[in-house]
Amino acid sequence: MRCTKAAAALATLCAVCSLPVHADEVDGVPANTVRIGLYDVIYHASSTDISGPFTPPGLSTDIKDLSTLYIGYVRKLSSHWVTELALALPPLSDTVGAGPASVGSVPYNNQLIARVRWLAPTALVEYQFFDDSSSWRPYVGIGVNYTSFYDRRSTLAGDEASGGPTRISLTNSVGPAGTIGISWHPLQHWEVNGSYSAAMVNSTMTTDTAGVIRTAKIHFNPTPFILSVGYSF
Amino acid sequence: MCIPRHLVAMAVITVLLCACGGSDSGTASIATSTARGTLIQDPPYRVASLNAMALGAQLSASASGQQLLQIAGTPACGVDVYDFQYYTVGAKGETTTASGALMVPTGAAGTCSGPRPVVLYAHGTQTDKAANLANITDASDTEGIMIAAMFAAQGYIVVAPNYAGYDISTLTYHPFLDADQQSKDMMDSLQAARTALPSTYASATSDNGQLFITGYSQGGYVAMATQRAMQSAGQTVTAAAPMSGPYALAAFGDLIMYGGVNFGSTAFVPMIITSYQQAYGNILSSISDIYSPTYTGNSTFAAANGNVLPSTTPIDTLFTDGVLPETALLDSTTPVFTTSMGLNATQAATLTAAAALPSSTNFPTPPFSTAQLQLFNSGFGNPGLINNTYRTQYILDAAANPDGLIPSASTGMPASGPQNPLRIALKTNDLRTFKPTSPTLLCGGDQDPTVFYSVNTGAMQNLWTAEGLAAPLVNYVDVNADPATAPTQQLAGIETAFQQTIAGISAAAGGGTAGQTAVVENYHATVAPFFAAVARSFFSNF
Repeated sequence: MRCTKAAAALATLCAVCSLPVHADEVDGVPANTVRIGLYDVIYHASSTDISGPFTPPGLSTDIKDLSTLYIGYVRKLSSHWVTELALALPPLSDTVGAGPASVGSVPYNNQLIARVRWLAPTALVEYQFFDDSSSWRPYVGIGVNYTSFYDRRSTLAGDEASGGPTRISLTNSVGPAGTIGISWHPLQHWEVNGSYSAAMVNSTMTTDTAGVIRTAKIHFNPTPFILSVGYSF
Repeated sequence: MCIPRHLVAMAVITVLLCACGGSDSGTASIATSTARGTLIQDPPYRVASLNAMALGAQLSASASGQQLLQIAGTPACGVDVYDFQYYTVGAKGETTTASGALMVPTGAAGTCSGPRPVVLYAHGTQTDKAANLANITDASDTEGIMIAAMFAAQGYIVVAPNYAGYDISTLTYHPFLDADQQSKDMMDSLQAARTALPSTYASATSDNGQLFITGYSQGGYVAMATQRAMQSAGQTVTAAAPMSGPYALAAFGDLIMYGGVNFGSTAFVPMIITSYQQAYGNILSSISDIYSPTYTGNSTFAAANGNVLPSTTPIDTLFTDGVLPETALLDSTTPVFTTSMGLNATQAATLTAAAALPSSTNFPTPPFSTAQLQLFNSGFGNPGLINNTYRTQYILDAAANPDGLIPSASTGMPASGPQNPLRIALKTNDLRTFKPTSPTLLCGGDQDPTVFYSVNTGAMQNLWTAEGLAAPLVNYVDVNADPATAPTQQLAGIETAFQQTIAGISAAAGGGTAGQTAVVENYHATVAPFFAAVARSFFSNF
């Protein structure tokens, strides 16, 4: 299990979230909300050319967009301010080769070369418009995204393109994040929420194939659209 | 105890997320043993995978590749090239690492998979410390792609070590022309490659037990030394084809020090002195014992204590920076031999004349052409790399304890009792006492300005003939011979193509003296693929 760092980060965020508030209601409104829903993300990924020994120019990677489960926790600070810890159930993301159709005679472009899972909690401070009596509450927020990559697997096609069994490592990333959204409160404890967010993730990928080390700088701007339902308590 | 609701919610989310974890994928296993012949990374790294069509296309993309295609033929197989690493030993038996290329034929054709023969290939002298035969796209070193096209693409599994002291090797010097170390290095690479073969992507290709040994130039010497070592160890050698190697090292050394300087000697000589100093420790006590003050005073040369090759600095830069002379191995001021050196007046005069600038007077035999005498003279300068004091000592010993081939042919064997440490070392590594028991082909070119044919391939031929060794056990090819006398049409074709190529080089330079110079500068490198074609043809008989 590679969750030690992620759990520590979550615990830290949890502690931060809990600091200012000691009651479970704010102005008579439940202070805690949990959300669950659909997390549909476009990664807008790019990478530098992979560099290292025996590596022809023009080889890079791309990340396939995906959908996964969204889990969120919102802590109310006042009638207009909340904090949100937004998470996606760590997806097994597909990384494909980008570049020439083949390296030698080994297919490369658009081949599934790696599958990587990452934990990417985003802590946000949000301002909610209107007041607690409104059924519709638009909001905007800014925060910090932390991304930790784990469960990194080179596929058979990736191993073939790399030249053998390959170990992949990716550095963790901390970057800014922002969101806009709207929540609808049809019932006292229930809400339906939609948001569009963006974050900035930078990582250095290093691969080790029988001692041959290659690197590439990876950059992506995940823009998840989230549709969720929430329960306040 | 009351736990706040928001902490419960956070804990649930954390557990949910962590339940999705997995493990990272691995890579090759790393050997824990450092024993000789141990494969370090298993499976090794595959540098390239080319099917027959892709290999043909890569070769067709350059002029040199097109010429190679004409000599080697259209690839019948694809080739997977692996860069493998293994443990071997240095000249003093010290444990070290080295790397090599494993080339595996691929493809559906019966000649490209299943049980296939192995070619153990020894490369020629390389001044680039970073050279790696597995890097078949390296435009500055075409030997890797040459053996891929010549052997692997025609169904041979190729094992080609880069040698200790090169590429990733931890050895700080290269045991150049050290028969014991270099044969161990070759055998260790073969053992490691055989370990690696089943775990490669081309696992459908396997070793059929046939082993062919070949190599070119330095590698021709190493190939013969390896054949000798494996023969002594009782290991199978199906056939061997050493190509243009300096087998009669002691005779070759004496010829050079008398003044028959070969092209490239200003690289070879410091490499061999470093190698034998490491192996035997008595070649010099200070670099000033052998080298002239101009070079011992060079900061790079002095800092490396003469161990300047192989280097990551291009050799042309070493020439430009004055670390080594480009051609001037010996001092153009003739050393004077006197009666104070224990010689009588006649002997002193004879040796002084012998050490003078080469001419038809002091180099009458074997018959040296005008072009060869010009070549010898280009090996002199002021100053030369080797100081005259050392050259005098060397020649005094060569005269007192003469080789059986140089300055004049007698026994054909190395001197019986040389006293000069370098001459002793050269004799130790001389291969003239070797007699093969497996089919052997020696291939050379009698106009070769770098590894002279007559004192190497010719010397071995004379000795083996005198010992009663003959075809089909031992065979000889001189690619400069008249194609009309070639025993097969295929060989006649190779000889014709080579001679036309050499004529083309001369003509392209304008013929005459310029043409001769161009041939001298390009002969040794040009001949390599033609030799390899001859070797492959020989191996196909088994």
